[in-house]
Amino acid sequence: MEQVEQLLKRTLPFQVVSPETLGNIAGISQRETFSEGDVIYSAGQSANDVYVLASGRLHHAITPQVNAKIHEKSLNAGDVFGWAAIFEGERIRLADVSCTEPVEVLRIDGTKLLDLLRRDRNFGDAAMRSFSQLISQQYYLPPSVANRVPSTLAAPATTAEEPGEPAAQMASTWTLTMYRAGEWIRSPDPYLMMIGFMLLLGSWYLTVEVFKLPRFEDLPGLTTVVTEWFATDPMYGLSIHTSEYYQHVWVSIRRVAIAFLLATALGVPLGLFLGWSRTFREYVFPVFELLRPIPILAWVPLAIIMFTGSETPVIFLTFLASFFATALNTMLGVESIDESYTRAAYCLGANRWQVFREVIIPGAMPYVFTGLQISVGVAWFSLVAGEMVSGQYGLGYVINTSYTMVRYPTIIIGMVTLGIVGYATSAMVRVAGNYMMQWRLREMALGGR
Amino acid sequence: MNAMLEKVKPRTNEARYGAIRIDDVVKIYDPEGAAVMAVDHCTLDIKAGEICMIVGPSGCGKTSLLNAIAGFHDITSGSIHMDGEMLCGPGKPKAEPGADRIVVFQNGALFPWKTNLENVAFGPMMAGKLSKKEIHEKARAMMADAGLSGTEHNYPGEVSSGLRRRVEIVRALMNDPKVLLFDEPYRALDSLTRSVMHESLLEIYYKNKVTIFFITHDLEEAIFLGHKLVIMTSRPCRPKKILEVDIPHPRDYSVLTSPRFRELLEETSEVVHEEARKSFAAGEKEG
Ligand SMILES: Nc1ncnc2c1ncn2[C@@H]1O[C@H](COP(=O)(O)OP(=O)(O)OP(=O)(O)O)[C@@H](O)[C@H]1O
Ligand SMILES: [Mg+2]
Repeated sequence: MEQVEQLLKRTLPFQVVSPETLGNIAGISQRETFSEGDVIYSAGQSANDVYVLASGRLHHAITPQVNAKIHEKSLNAGDVFGWAAIFEGERIRLADVSCTEPVEVLRIDGTKLLDLLRRDRNFGDAAMRSFSQLISQQYYLPPSVANRVPSTLAAPATTAEEPGEPAAQMASTWTLTMYRAGEWIRSPDPYLMMIGFMLLLGSWYLTVEVFKLPRFEDLPGLTTVVTEWFATDPMYGLSIHTSEYYQHVWVSIRRVAIAFLLATALGVPLGLFLGWSRTFREYVFPVFELLRPIPILAWVPLAIIMFTGSETPVIFLTFLASFFATALNTMLGVESIDESYTRAAYCLGANRWQVFREVIIPGAMPYVFTGLQISVGVAWFSLVAGEMVSGQYGLGYVINTSYTMVRYPTIIIGMVTLGIVGYATSAMVRVAGNYMMQWRLREMALGGR
Repeated sequence: MNAMLEKVKPRTNEARYGAIRIDDVVKIYDPEGAAVMAVDHCTLDIKAGEICMIVGPSGCGKTSLLNAIAGFHDITSGSIHMDGEMLCGPGKPKAEPGADRIVVFQNGALFPWKTNLENVAFGPMMAGKLSKKEIHEKARAMMADAGLSGTEHNYPGEVSSGLRRRVEIVRALMNDPKVLLFDEPYRALDSLTRSVMHESLLEIYYKNKVTIFFITHDLEEAIFLGHKLVIMTSRPCRPKKILEVDIPHPRDYSVLTSPRFRELLEETSEVVHEEARKSFAAGEKEG
């Protein structure tokens, strides 16, 4: 019995249930063995049992009638299959499962299993969600199949006379976000991330300060930088306690913000029209394609000649790269829209302008936001280039002058600050995108991606 | 199933609109270059309120014919009339797409960025004749009628594919179309969901008299649903055999086991199979 529990504990859906439920599930599990070539079940048969593979290998082939991204896969010990046995409504096998080796399985009655999970108030629902997740992630099936696993949280059934349809779940954005945050904390990701940071900082510390490797010894060390950064009275004049530091950060953010907003305001409409109107594209796109590959640094002289002062040339350079990224991605977004959406809109009586507003703009949105994320990234990139060449303030300026004035720790402070601020701005764009595309967020949450 | 049929009143009002006459239609793609003839002098009469099922081998030109009726592309020659009015023909190669002929697409075309309710309300919102409130009220009522209450505020991506198809049909019906054009809408569904969809389509049809032009690969589906069965030749397509299905409506799933159904299936499957074989052989030659 212990052995069975151990095995169950290793599977995705059952690792979350309470010990008591686990024991009960082990109690209704039956060991069975099959020899090579045996067929455990085939598609179309009625589905009564869920299986856990204890040892050996199986071939799992989903019928072509079901819309799976990948139809065939092989299963190894610890994999769970036969989940059609806990579907809401009609339980029919969707796959053929045969043994490629002699195997041992645990067979668990679907109805009894559901009953046990329903009784586990704390974790039963999580287990059922894991089943949906398993179906979509490991068996590559669409949400329409994955959602057939009942949920104790599910809204009341919508249609009484139709057993095949699950009640659609309404998930508010908030609960979704919380759910995802919880999943993240429980997953290994945050810990792996910490290990990554430790490795970076550790090797910096060791190479520069402990081993003093040749060519590395002149670099500012980890401890020097940290002390300088947090010093109330910094040696080179820049730390979190000096107002100058914030002034540089603020100036850079302001420049990026202006350039980014301008690039969005001009780039999105341009991209939409490029994608939408063939004639417009024939006029404009060649020019666009010719200008786009010119590196931002090549624009520096022109920017300085064209614009007076130190502010506008930097903003112009920052704007330029963002603008191209935004316009191009928006155009690709329009091209990516499935023709049947525009056709459907015309069928339903929309005119050309209405199609533009109701189909083209929202349909291109996912690409637009990808474009905007790239756009913030390149904005910071070209900002620093611009600030190094001209400009009186800003993080690029800090890095450049610190180099000429041999203030090495300040260079690192500038770099790290750029990293943090850059990450924060692109996170903001992502959040804005998620907020504006609730439909996508919900779709992806259900798809388990 | 039987409960469903009891709810359905027998046909009271016969459809008076939506008769389609396809006259000698030819569709050739890319007439200058490597001309591909998709539709070859096709003539077909569909009565108002009739369910006309089109069966034919893969790639024979069924979608091309449907697109010509819907107004998605032009025809090379011939004409298509609806209720005596010319949709396309001499002097007007392409029909104007409009809410009187609505397509239900093979992969579904509900807008994923709109909720189900907003999708259903789309047509009338575009027409702009009623207020948003009135439209949403009507949309809710129609959705409730089709067993879709509770899913109004879900996005299409959140409900099962079977429900999505039903929402799409309701979206079409909101516009009082004369003709519904189905392009293999149930192809991607599993057989179980498909049988549920058939019943629900018939239920909807009995309540709303429209003409249905329905493309399918599946002969059983065609005989089960249709008044008229049109078997197309392999590409370029032309009716090879037109058959009236003399099983009375309303039908339910017991039809599938009736002797008449079996007879019709036997009578037609040889013809369909022969065309499929031809199309396969032609494909082999080309490839
Ligand atoms: N836009 C196009 N340009 C050129 N050829 C096309 C075009 N659309 C379709 N065809 C060709 O016309 C023929 C008929 O296509 P159509 O899509 O009408 O067939 P179908 O019967 O709907 O096929 P299926 O059963 O695969 O949906 C095919 O050989 C196809 O390659
Ligand atoms: Mg087709």
